[in-house]
Amino acid sequence: MSDYAHSLRSFSASRKPDNETGTTVNEQRKKIDWVEFSISAALPLAVVLIALFFYANSPVFFSARNWINISVQIAAAMTITIPAAMLLMSGRVDLSVGSLMALCGVVAGLSFETMGVPGAVAFTICIGIFAGLFNGVLIAVLGMDAIIVTLGSFTLFRGIAQWFAPNPVFGFPEAFLILGYGRWFGLPYLTWIMIGVLVTGLLVMRFLPIGRRIIAIGINDRAAFLVGVRVKWTVLLLYIAVGVACALAGLMTIARINSAPSASLGVDFEILVLTAILLGGVPFKGGKGSLLRVALAVVLLGMLDNGLVLMNVQTEAALMIKGGVLIFAAALDLIRTRRAG
Amino acid sequence: MMLNTLVAVADLRKSYGSVEVLKGLDLEFKAGEIHAFLGANGAGKSTFLGCLSGAVTPSSGEITLDGQAFDALRPRQALDHGVGIIYQHFQVFEGLSVAENIFLGRELKKFGCVDKSAQIAEARTILQRLSVSIDPRTMLDDLSTGERKIIEIARALNVHPKLLILDEPTAALGEKEMAALHDVVRQLAHSEGLGIVYVTHLLDEIDEIADVVTVLRNGSVIWTKQKEDTNPTELAEAIAPSSSAMKLSAPSIRKNGPASIELEDYCSPFTGPINLSVRPGEAIGIYGLLGSGRTDLLESLFGARAHTGGSLKLGGRPTQIKNPLAAMDKGISLVASDRTEQSLFGTLSATDNLLMPHYGRSILPSLIRKPKRERELFSDLASRLSVHPPNPALLASHFSGGNAQKIVLGRWLLNQDADNQIILLDEPTQGVDIGARNQLYETLRQALNQGACVLFATSDPTEILTLADRTLVLGYGRQVALIDSPKNEHELVELAHRTSSAIHAA
Repeated sequence: MSDYAHSLRSFSASRKPDNETGTTVNEQRKKIDWVEFSISAALPLAVVLIALFFYANSPVFFSARNWINISVQIAAAMTITIPAAMLLMSGRVDLSVGSLMALCGVVAGLSFETMGVPGAVAFTICIGIFAGLFNGVLIAVLGMDAIIVTLGSFTLFRGIAQWFAPNPVFGFPEAFLILGYGRWFGLPYLTWIMIGVLVTGLLVMRFLPIGRRIIAIGINDRAAFLVGVRVKWTVLLLYIAVGVACALAGLMTIARINSAPSASLGVDFEILVLTAILLGGVPFKGGKGSLLRVALAVVLLGMLDNGLVLMNVQTEAALMIKGGVLIFAAALDLIRTRRAG
Repeated sequence: MMLNTLVAVADLRKSYGSVEVLKGLDLEFKAGEIHAFLGANGAGKSTFLGCLSGAVTPSSGEITLDGQAFDALRPRQALDHGVGIIYQHFQVFEGLSVAENIFLGRELKKFGCVDKSAQIAEARTILQRLSVSIDPRTMLDDLSTGERKIIEIARALNVHPKLLILDEPTAALGEKEMAALHDVVRQLAHSEGLGIVYVTHLLDEIDEIADVVTVLRNGSVIWTKQKEDTNPTELAEAIAPSSSAMKLSAPSIRKNGPASIELEDYCSPFTGPINLSVRPGEAIGIYGLLGSGRTDLLESLFGARAHTGGSLKLGGRPTQIKNPLAAMDKGISLVASDRTEQSLFGTLSATDNLLMPHYGRSILPSLIRKPKRERELFSDLASRLSVHPPNPALLASHFSGGNAQKIVLGRWLLNQDADNQIILLDEPTQGVDIGARNQLYETLRQALNQGACVLFATSDPTEILTLADRTLVLGYGRQVALIDSPKNEHELVELAHRTSSAIHAA
């Protein structure tokens, strides 16, 4: 193509003067920004240091059994956190996850008898999809405010769950309970599900076009709309993904505890999930973030829960520590944005 | 009459990176004088005003206020030394009364509480001083745009400025309101002895209001003259000399075959009816003042706003465009007006910015992303449009305005199949320096030669002269003229302004 050849020539002709500034750009990139570096390293470093601290105080902490224990404890939270983090990257929040998890747990518990295990699981996932559609249509399609809508469905879903099952549902079929304790290649099923969700999330964000679109929507949904991104559709899809994840988490949890208490299942999960996402560095208004860091934050919170119990720290103290960690992380992020701005 | 100098600047310079925006300005502003300030977009007006008000730190030079010399001003210092500024965009608050707006942030207090009656009385005094009859208790919501501008002036007077800067105060005003505002400004300068810096794009206003005129171009003062010593033709020439219109290769409009895009009584929410037929290879300039409906029309054609009436034909076939995605499928693309607000994803890489419309479609159809191919596409485009630096991973916000705009425009030039392409551009060279500007024009001309058609909206007459084969003039949402290229900027400015006042009079 002559056009191309021409522009190539003009490019190489303009290469010379460009070179001066070009090198400075390269130099700037090579120079390591230590403040930036230490802030980004803070989270992984915290995980390592806290792990070492717990190990020093209670050697049991580093046993394979305890790590598997931790993974089972965080499995449900991780399963919801990954899609919820993607949702927050697009600039939307879902506060109804804990209640939806309870609703799904109750629905599953009540339908084993009539539908059998596969039927009840499929039905529960459908409920998750439907609840996601409900939030998503109101927020993405009709344009209602995400905080208000999901605060409403947070109460609504809990209400429905308690209405269906005023008392805890328990006594599930053996074929289902195996989900809670069964293992595959030495790891519990619950851990495998968690890993599966994490890997899927990472692959989607890294390799599928929708990963970039989610970030673009979070940065500026008007601009995304003007380059042909289907903003409504994408956000709707994310709410559905969160709904499905809540159904999975509900199933995982009731299988583990062999009971579906409508009043306490998934309580405070929305706070836990949001804490992990923000701790993992996704800004509340979205537009960027790394799922790997979010996953690390989930691990950190799980480790704190586990390690503090091993050290016989009271739960009140554990709450204070976890809250403090989040505020500290926010302070680090403020330093970073102040420098950038 | 000897007027004393309020503010003087000496050899004021400002650079952003390697781009020098102000190239050593020497100016004086005197008490009791209305000093009109003119210049095309990107001439450096806003930067200069920013230096005076303390919002921008100059790179070098000196600002003398009250006989005291400063290297740089902080906003607070500027205010304390009597420099008040009223920005082009409204900074008033609906839901508050006129008095509350005037005293916002400097409330009059009695026993620690807001003294409403004192504020109302004081506001009444200020408004009387301006000879306007607005009740201070009126809610701001009930005021016209012109009255709002006057409220902003009233608020600025609250801190007793000696020099008042008005940045395009009449940009959104109609003829009558403009006259009312002029009365207020004259009152302040000639009766009260304030110095006024008056920025405008409208040449007719100069005759109406100015005492002294300064023209700024490319960061330098071209000249400062008494109003009596100049005339509109000379002004237009100084703002944008005829020779600065770049000569591009000759247009190659294709006369045969159906028109690329044909509008018949086309209406968008605030604009229309428009009648226009554009042939492949043709560039149509859309010229009009702020609020004339340029953006409304372009976004409607792109499916980002409703199409409310009349018909649209693409390549001879009647078409409806529901959303931007449908528009893209039909070969329509839009470079939206405000780059940072509507186009660029600052915290994504240049490659992501370039390819955002294409991921999973057209030129990148595969479901799974191909990083290598993505980088190739970027490098290819970077060399075609000489994007600097040609670094595919650099965040978009780190590019200069011109280079960022090349990336934004590049999105729509990746498709090699330029036939039937319709490129819509809204203020394509806003915040783009002159060098990059010419490259953008040249790039568009290449697309035109390959059979694309271009519709671009601009408030820069030079741009019309450079690129447009024909010009659609809009005024208050209506098509007021469709003309072959005008001979000079002045003709165009006059036409747009005269038609808007004619419509207002009617």
